[in-house]
Amino acid sequence: MENSASYQVKLEVFEGPLDLLLFLIRKKKIDIHDIPMATITKEYLEYLNKKERINLDREAEFLLIAALLIYIKSQMLLPREKPIEDEKDPRQLLVDRLLDYQKIKAASLLLKEKEEKELQKWKRASIPFQSFEKEMDSLEVSLFSLAESFFTLMKRKEKEEAQIIKGKEFSIEEKIQEILAVFEENSFLDFFDYFYEQESFEEALASFFALLELIKSRIVIALQKSHFQPIKVWLRDKAPVKRT
Amino acid sequence: MKERLKEVVESLIFISLEPLSLEKIKGVLTEFPEEDIDQAIKELLESYAADERGIQIIQAAGGYLFSTKSEHDAWIKRLLRVERKNKLSSAAMETLSAIAYHQPITLAEISALRGVDSSQTLKTLLQKKMINIIGRKKSPGNPLIYRTSNKFLTHFGLSDIKDLPTPEEISKILEEEKNFEKEEN
Repeated sequence: MENSASYQVKLEVFEGPLDLLLFLIRKKKIDIHDIPMATITKEYLEYLNKKERINLDREAEFLLIAALLIYIKSQMLLPREKPIEDEKDPRQLLVDRLLDYQKIKAASLLLKEKEEKELQKWKRASIPFQSFEKEMDSLEVSLFSLAESFFTLMKRKEKEEAQIIKGKEFSIEEKIQEILAVFEENSFLDFFDYFYEQESFEEALASFFALLELIKSRIVIALQKSHFQPIKVWLRDKAPVKRT
Repeated sequence: MKERLKEVVESLIFISLEPLSLEKIKGVLTEFPEEDIDQAIKELLESYAADERGIQIIQAAGGYLFSTKSEHDAWIKRLLRVERKNKLSSAAMETLSAIAYHQPITLAEISALRGVDSSQTLKTLLQKKMINIIGRKKSPGNPLIYRTSNKFLTHFGLSDIKDLPTPEEISKILEEEKNFEKEEN
């Protein structure tokens, strides 16, 4: 009953190519130590073909494993002068990787259960302090003063530092994740400190756009008590402003 | 003063935001004999375990820490106006588990284990202080080496890195998955 049409699962649900491979092996009820290379390679490639386009940034790894599968398959097909028993099974490397990965994955599931339990216990350090803070009267910082502060800061920084030559590109998406990650640890993000730590102008610019994007989508809010006071960025629903 | 020792220890644990280790407690209470401190802690733990209280003393990352009981989670969230605490993403979980079992480890090694470039996840884990950089490897490129942190232990309620799920527990999970699929088909 298992035809390829039943694998209508998106590539995104897999943590990576090894995850996909394990999924296929389980579906086919194959022994991991004795993988039929032709079948599994076919399944795997069919899977990739379902994608209309491959996003090379994210999915290059899937192609890498595809190449490895084809390589192993061809190794096994090649006629040999010596009998194969003398050599290592070409699949061994892949099997070892899959077994290692399988263990990590299973362990991460067990850890997830532990996390679930732990999150129900509250420690003093995990109490978000702003809940008890008096609500301060803060002003929302306008876009212009935010931009102005940003460029003033960048100019000041420019004077301090020598030219840094760097090829790295920064994506706004990554920076959004980075900013949101800050809020998991801290209740607010200090605007000046945050941008001061950025290594290059390009990076700071990406971060700034990410911040603007978050403000626009009303996820965060930038506040300051009055002019010339530090600007603090808060998650909108945790910000110390009077709810109206 | 000896009979007061239990109270003193209790206050030290109370005031600590991070798990308070036995060495630290002993380092503070220098005027007391070590056996008395051990005894006081033992009695303190016993009294917390026996009494009907909303808070408990847990052992995490090699130290003692006050925490609420999990049964009261719902009301605490209501008080703090918090929906839920942040869980780690499954990519982060997988990366952490790779690090936990193979530490000390480099980025390249983590990515090889997972079959996925893990630099972004690693950055997030560093920011969350779940892992630490402990140095550089003496190999080409001198890559950074990572280890799980004490915060990692506390986050998962582990007292020590030895408390990680054992190989037996892991194979049990894998067996269960296999059996589940058999029944399914």
